[in-house]
Amino acid sequence: MNVTVETLALIVVFAPVIGAIIAGLFGRVLPAKVSMTVTTGLLMVAAASAITIFIGYWDKSLVLPDEPIRIFKWIDVAGFTSTWSIRLDAISVVMMAVVTSVSSMVHLYSWGYMSDDPFKPRFFAYLSLFTFAMLSLVTAADFMQLFFGWEGVGLASYLLIGFYFLKRSANDAQIKAFVVNRVGDFGFVLGIMSVYFVFGTIEFKDVFHAIPHHIHDTMGWGKLQLPAMEVIALLLFIGAMGKSAQFLLHTWLPDAMEGPTPVSALIHAATMVTAGVVLVTLCSPIFQVAPFASGVVTLIGAITAIFAATIGIAQNDIKRVIAYSTCSQLGYMFFAAGIGVYQAAMFHLFTHAFFKAMLFLGAGSVIHGLHHEQDMRKMGGVWKPMKITYAIMLIGTLAITGVGIPGTNFGFAGFFSKDAIIESAFAASSEGLPFATFAFWMGILAAFLTSFYSWRLAFMTFTGTFRGDAHGGHHDDDAHAHAVHAAHVEGHHDAHQEDGVAPAHESPLVMLVPLFILAFGAIFAGFIFNDAFVGEGAHDFWGHAIYVSPENHILHARHNVPEWVKFMPLTVTLLGLLGAMIVYLWNKGLGEKIAKATGPIHAFLYNKWYFDELYDAVFVKGARALGDFFWKVGDQKLIDGIINGIASDTNIISKKSVKVQSGYVYHYAFIMLIALVAFGALVLLKKG
Amino acid sequence: MNLASVTHDLAFMTPELVIAVGAMLLVLMGAFVSKSAYRAITYLSVVVLLVAGFLGVQHAPDNAQVLFNGSYVVDAFGGFAKLIIALTAACAILLSADYLAERNLEKPEYPVLALLAVLGMYVMVSAHDLLAVYMGVELQSLALYVLAAYARDDRKSSEAGLKYFVLGALSSGILLYGVSLIYGFTGTINFGKLMTIAKDTSNVGLIFGMVFVLSGIAFKMSVAPFHMWTPDVYEGAPTPSTAFFATAPKMAAAILLGRFLFEAFGEVVSQWRDVVSIMAVLSMFVGAIFALQQTNMKRLLAYSSILNMGYAMVAIAAGPVYGPSALLLFTAIYAITSVGMFGVLLSMRDAKGKEITKISGYSGLSKQRPLLSLALTIMFFSITGIPPLLGFFGKFQIFIAAVDGGVMPLALILVIASVISAFYYLRVLKVVWFDEPSVEIVGGLATTKVTVTGVTLMIALLTPFIGLIYTASMAAGHFFK
Amino acid sequence: MLQIAAFYILAAVALISAIMVVSAKNPVHSVMFLITIFVTTSGLFVLAGAEYLAMLLIVVYVGAVAVLFLFVVMMLDIDFVELKQGFMRYAPFGALVALVLFAMFVLVASAVVEAKVDPHVLASPTPALDVANNTQAIGRILYTDYILFFQLAGMVLFVAMIGAIVLTLRHKPYVKRQNVGKQVARTRKTGVENTKPKIGEGVSL
Repeated sequence: MNVTVETLALIVVFAPVIGAIIAGLFGRVLPAKVSMTVTTGLLMVAAASAITIFIGYWDKSLVLPDEPIRIFKWIDVAGFTSTWSIRLDAISVVMMAVVTSVSSMVHLYSWGYMSDDPFKPRFFAYLSLFTFAMLSLVTAADFMQLFFGWEGVGLASYLLIGFYFLKRSANDAQIKAFVVNRVGDFGFVLGIMSVYFVFGTIEFKDVFHAIPHHIHDTMGWGKLQLPAMEVIALLLFIGAMGKSAQFLLHTWLPDAMEGPTPVSALIHAATMVTAGVVLVTLCSPIFQVAPFASGVVTLIGAITAIFAATIGIAQNDIKRVIAYSTCSQLGYMFFAAGIGVYQAAMFHLFTHAFFKAMLFLGAGSVIHGLHHEQDMRKMGGVWKPMKITYAIMLIGTLAITGVGIPGTNFGFAGFFSKDAIIESAFAASSEGLPFATFAFWMGILAAFLTSFYSWRLAFMTFTGTFRGDAHGGHHDDDAHAHAVHAAHVEGHHDAHQEDGVAPAHESPLVMLVPLFILAFGAIFAGFIFNDAFVGEGAHDFWGHAIYVSPENHILHARHNVPEWVKFMPLTVTLLGLLGAMIVYLWNKGLGEKIAKATGPIHAFLYNKWYFDELYDAVFVKGARALGDFFWKVGDQKLIDGIINGIASDTNIISKKSVKVQSGYVYHYAFIMLIALVAFGALVLLKKG
Repeated sequence: MNLASVTHDLAFMTPELVIAVGAMLLVLMGAFVSKSAYRAITYLSVVVLLVAGFLGVQHAPDNAQVLFNGSYVVDAFGGFAKLIIALTAACAILLSADYLAERNLEKPEYPVLALLAVLGMYVMVSAHDLLAVYMGVELQSLALYVLAAYARDDRKSSEAGLKYFVLGALSSGILLYGVSLIYGFTGTINFGKLMTIAKDTSNVGLIFGMVFVLSGIAFKMSVAPFHMWTPDVYEGAPTPSTAFFATAPKMAAAILLGRFLFEAFGEVVSQWRDVVSIMAVLSMFVGAIFALQQTNMKRLLAYSSILNMGYAMVAIAAGPVYGPSALLLFTAIYAITSVGMFGVLLSMRDAKGKEITKISGYSGLSKQRPLLSLALTIMFFSITGIPPLLGFFGKFQIFIAAVDGGVMPLALILVIASVISAFYYLRVLKVVWFDEPSVEIVGGLATTKVTVTGVTLMIALLTPFIGLIYTASMAAGHFFK
Repeated sequence: MLQIAAFYILAAVALISAIMVVSAKNPVHSVMFLITIFVTTSGLFVLAGAEYLAMLLIVVYVGAVAVLFLFVVMMLDIDFVELKQGFMRYAPFGALVALVLFAMFVLVASAVVEAKVDPHVLASPTPALDVANNTQAIGRILYTDYILFFQLAGMVLFVAMIGAIVLTLRHKPYVKRQNVGKQVARTRKTGVENTKPKIGEGVSL
């Protein structure tokens, strides 16, 4: 059979949306199993197609078309056009593979995880809808479609965070995510407008081709003229910051963990949050001519990497730890992009998607096994009943901490990508790129913290003795707003109740299979694709998708960094492991003691640097005060006054003027004559 | 002119001939076949109209054909208008069948008079000199006066007919006076020749006469301040007649006014733009404000048609470059929607078969007649201009034309008037959907049902094909230079 | 000279009569003044050389329309004095409007005195009297150049006829009409019937 790459791409993009439509519109009438099967099945098909394209492109047996596949023109307003397209290049191929494969795994996993939820069709419809939006984002050929996908994933994320809509905290979280993203999106929209303003088009191809003619363009008001490229790059980066939860706009991501765990895995770890990285990579031609903006990207990325990691070590909620870990890893990707090694950023994105999704799903497995307990302080000793999950989580931890042997090709996925980034940062700092040195050291420090909190998580959860409520205490932290679970679990586990052993059960096969598959990726993705993404084959692999200015040799220079740099990440990782072992494995209770001893610092970290409180005081309270002012004075007094005034005046005028309609023919005739005379006079006066 | 050129010219007038001959044959049929032929005549007249409408489009020449020494013009602009006129008039005739039969008014003259009125409208939209204007207007009006007074034993109907007749005669007088002024000062009544004269000379008498003609046609369009007859006549006339008044004649008059101003005075837009703009503003004001106080559905729709003719005036004020297409598109959509709204009105009968015209009588309609309510809702949404529906596109086109044509203030007033008018349309819908039922409402009879369903479907289903109508009206509108 | 004198006399009489039509108390007088207007106007037509129109005006308007008016006025019992009661209320404003209108006409008429009608734009200029008289000239173009309007006028009259019938013709069921044909066609067979009713039952008619 000879299927063209175009056909495959169409399947990839549109299979999920078909599933979403079927499950979304007919989910109420169809049996839940049908909706689930259809969405999952279509996602599998999409994933198979996407992986076919990816592998084909990787081993060069498949040539991608130069032009995007044009499907239809969906906006055409006076010169501003946008065509719905599927852009096929290295970035989109990689992203399609990542998105569909993780998404299909999450779909499958949700069969088990959501088994006792009464709203399964809705859940699966949202998941598929999200996947479609994400795919249209990564395959966009112009900024408008990108924005569509951008908002589409935002919407899906909003819907899924608040999936347990009866839960107050979930509602708050979904609104928070939406509002914080709006800040970023505002920048993004301004960025798109600036692109159109400067280039007169929003088509990536045309924009990127025209950059050499616009490098020295400026934009602004009157005397205040700023270099256009820097402005565009910064605005686009603000959008990326919002979506990718970078420092200052990160506050929504941990709260987004209110959503069901599969959602966290898919959206808030593997795919959506990486959209910002994709955007920056995609716009590499712009960022490469905007050194200042790139510097800002580096700085913000580095700060995020270390900042999130510090918070991660003090959190007790298993999902929050992973959420901050995600935030931190995204910081890595951004500073990689900031220093111009977009390849490394994409590579880390790629590997991160596997091991982070796996960690989340593994955590979900634990949560599921412990009847929706999320507090790590109430876990411990879970390894006994959940051996498979334990193994999976260990693989994930090894992958995220980047364990591998420098100088060889042996290591977990994270080893290759993270080391590539850190080495590049060192190379960049020796080339004098702004903030590169800072990024390097922050990267090293963050690697240590990553290792520490990852192992902390593993030890607190799986080793030791069970610290929770012996009867599998039923907490509402995660799933059970719909509360159908209770009857189902009671008694089921009392049978194998032993002292100090967690009352958990291993997850069903349908949840474990996705974990195995992702584990495969977490182990081998780095090893297999290292060469193509950041090695010798990088230039061929990325082709025109990533633009790197001729002076930028960092990707090659990183091979020539001193040996100590190459061993540095592994060293700190092992130190982190050692630290975690000391605190959480060998000395029980040391963790709490340290926390007590370093009271203010711990509180500072535990409360996430008080960002929520700060934002609450400044923005939320401020906005409320402002809103109150506008509401009570501006709206109620002024606008309502005017509107109501106009409305009642209209009514009065209407009542009065209706009297003209007397019903007498001679009145009517008279009015006609007067009008005639008036009009005659008008033209005569005008004439002369 | 010799016989050959007359037959040559007549060949282009097939639709008109079909209507004229059809009307005469149907009169004969009504006179010689028994009274029971009423239904047959009604349906046959509908067929005649459909054939004429179809032929009008089918036989539309590629280029505008000026016939009879420049008195009459057949072109795509008129062809499109004629199609819509025939279509809506056919709907109005269909709507009349059950209503009249129920009230022992089923005389074959009704459809025949309607046919002759349509003939007058055809002449109006094709008029290319002032004599044709007058003949068309009179032919149409005379038939309409009779239709207004058709229920001759009903005092209100007689009053409506008389009022319409007296005021109509006055307006015809004004129009004729204008014609005579124009002829007296220029020696011609032909649009094309008037165009060159108006361009070359600054002739006060010509412009003065133009204002008179403009006012005369404005009366037929029921544009403020020549609108005063409209609510009274609409209320008093039998409802099917009102349905007829509100649709095809309005479109014909609007198209006629457009053609008169664009083709005879298109080069001197500034001379008439003020007058047209004032009429537009007044109509929008009256249509939006007066309607707020109405409790009678027929009066409400009268103000609605005044309002919509105000919008049409905005299109005319936009000038000969941007105006024609918008005018055509808008009036076509208005006429279609309007006939549908009257179809709903005619479907409103209480248990004794009496028609319900009070708005309060509509309360809780949705609980008794959900489909009818849905139809009414679609039509009201359409005429309010809610986006996916047909009505939006007409209004939008006018808005664009107004902006392009340099009459931005009118565009703004149009928006404001739309907002105010939305209130009274929605108020009816509120009564329909949210109030408790007060009286038992029996739906319309067979033909009414068919018509309402047809028009509703047309509005709903044509929406996706708006591009088609749009392209057609654009192409037709571009017949003007 | 004589023509000019005739014009002014006729015009003056027409105007005064017009005022009298409106102001006369007795409606019959109004109609009489109306007839005067028609007659003087037809005199003006003769002065303008349009003798056909002059005769037409006399025949149609005086002979038919005005007479019809008279009938209507006499048949309807309307108190015209009462009808005119509101007159004074609107008179000042009405007079003002009329004045403005008049001023405008003067303005227009005076502004275009110099603008001569270009004879070439006339579709059918009146031929000289020695070529064809009015009746012939109208006849020549009425059925050729203006055939369309002639036919349309026919349609207008057609509508008027139908309308008049629709609005006024009544078939009263209880009126017994004479049908001459039926009466003539009556034979003995249809007129007479022999029956033999049983005793006590009578005959049903």
